[in-house]
Amino acid sequence: MAAMLETDGLVAGYEPGLPIVRGASIRVEPQEIVVILGPNWAGKSSLIKAIAGLVPISGGAVRLAGAEITRVPAHRMVQAGLAFVPQTENVFPLLSVQDNLRVSAGGLPRAETAARIEEMFALFPDLARQRRLMAGSLSGGQRQMLAAARALIVRPRVLMLDEPSAGLSPKFVEMVFARLAEIRRGGVTVVLVEQNARAALAIGDRAYVLVEGRVAHEAPAATLWDDPVVAELYLGQRSDGGGR
Amino acid sequence: MTLQFLLNGLIEGSMIGLGAIGVTLTYAILRFSNFAHGDFMAWGAYSTLMLVGLIGSAVGTVAPIGPLSFGWPLILAGLGGMVFTGCLALLLDWLLFARLRARGQAIVVVMASFGASMALRNLLEFAFTSSPTYFSRKIQIARPIGLGIRITPDQTVLLGMTLVLVVGMHLLMTYSRTGREMKAVSQNPALARVVGIDLDRIVRMTWLIGGALASAAGLMVGVLVQIRPLMGLDMLLPMFAAAILGGIGSVPGAVLGGLVIGLSQAASVQLVGAEWRQAVAFVILVAVLLVRPTGLFGVQER
Ligand SMILES: Nc1ncnc2c1ncn2[C@@H]1O[C@H](COP(=O)(O)OP(=O)(O)OP(=O)(O)O)[C@@H](O)[C@H]1O
Ligand SMILES: [Mg+2]
Repeated sequence: MAAMLETDGLVAGYEPGLPIVRGASIRVEPQEIVVILGPNWAGKSSLIKAIAGLVPISGGAVRLAGAEITRVPAHRMVQAGLAFVPQTENVFPLLSVQDNLRVSAGGLPRAETAARIEEMFALFPDLARQRRLMAGSLSGGQRQMLAAARALIVRPRVLMLDEPSAGLSPKFVEMVFARLAEIRRGGVTVVLVEQNARAALAIGDRAYVLVEGRVAHEAPAATLWDDPVVAELYLGQRSDGGGR
Repeated sequence: MTLQFLLNGLIEGSMIGLGAIGVTLTYAILRFSNFAHGDFMAWGAYSTLMLVGLIGSAVGTVAPIGPLSFGWPLILAGLGGMVFTGCLALLLDWLLFARLRARGQAIVVVMASFGASMALRNLLEFAFTSSPTYFSRKIQIARPIGLGIRITPDQTVLLGMTLVLVVGMHLLMTYSRTGREMKAVSQNPALARVVGIDLDRIVRMTWLIGGALASAAGLMVGVLVQIRPLMGLDMLLPMFAAAILGGIGSVPGAVLGGLVIGLSQAASVQLVGAEWRQAVAFVILVAVLLVRPTGLFGVQER
């Protein structure tokens, strides 16, 4: 059976001749939660941005459910079934919460869009109360919820998130990860880049450790934390509990 | 002192405002000041004039509508001119701006628009000479509407046209998918791609709308004042001042900014003399940049 999402020796970078992702191969099975860890500057964000079509790819391949999506333009990824939540600036600050969802629903019929917006408000009740508010005035946690809702409204097969817990209070961190576990039970495959390794590994199935643009280690989430190799890869950074 | 300047200002403001919508959208979505926008106005006026001539040679002389100076051919030609100018803007983007944009330096695109402006203007002077021409030389009688203000039938109809276009634009921006997508692109182009918005389509829409509205403004100037190759260049500063006063990216802001500038210009003619008229837009532009760079409806960038 084909993997849900797969990269094969992916090489990508912002400028020609300066690859940041240097032959990364990952494989994500249907309905898995896969966590991507690694030290700062490892290229974690660049890897998922390249998968999403936002960083030029110069080698290797990306496949979604068996179909090649390497170099598909970013705006077609949604149609292909891949949704992405960037780490920062992941909502439109001067659109209302509702319009953020609407603009992300694309060309769905009006009634269907309205129904899906209500669906998202059911999943994130906090947002329902703020529906007419400008997204820019939401709190960090609510903004992260909106970014996730915005990605989910298209019913993606794969959801990729870049550090969704960064900068959030512990209460919100817990909520975000609980929601992600729920989303996966709903049938969505999740790829999660996280600095907050402990919380991410608690809901994850498997994890990759990315170092200098390559996969340096792969392990089940449950055992990865106690793996001495990982401690070495992080060069002692782990002692702070993986948080920032 | 008469209140006639209010009406004159409203009319000037409408012309400026229609043009400023295109300026503000181009700036918000493509992130550069298009100095050729004034020339879209002139090309709009001349293309409309050509189309009127074409229709005339096909169907013969057509009587004006009621008390107006023009008949249905001008209305049809005006619509044709809007389409033509929208396509001209698209063509210019495809030939010039898109290629330079891809290399990523905003200032290069701005300089290119200077060059394009000059080329467009020279083409008009070459084809039509620099002397003014008119849609009609018929004299219109201005009727009093109270408070010492007089208005001609042409002015009434063209103010109505402005109102329809502005309200239509506002509805498009607020309630249509394209409008929402344009706002999204202006706020964050990378995220816009992530949510599935086709940037190229939004850029095309922006040029089409900007060009078409510039053409409508050109038609208005042509009917109420005169048609000259330089007509757009003269409007450039007021249009930019209006777009910045209203807040970049805001359609209602651009229109309101246009009205403020039009009224100030008309008032200055009455109060301090016609020679100061040109300075008004400049003074307002500088004042806004100093006091509130985000303009009336603008919001601080993140
Ligand atoms: N937009 C960009 N243009 C050019 N280089 C970039 C850009 N974004 C990131 N880089 C470079 O790519 C490299 C990897 O950055 P990336 O953000 O992918 O790492 P990361 O693993 O996500 O780090 P962090 O943990 O800090 O988020 C860095 O050297 C960075 O300088
Ligand atoms: Mg990162």
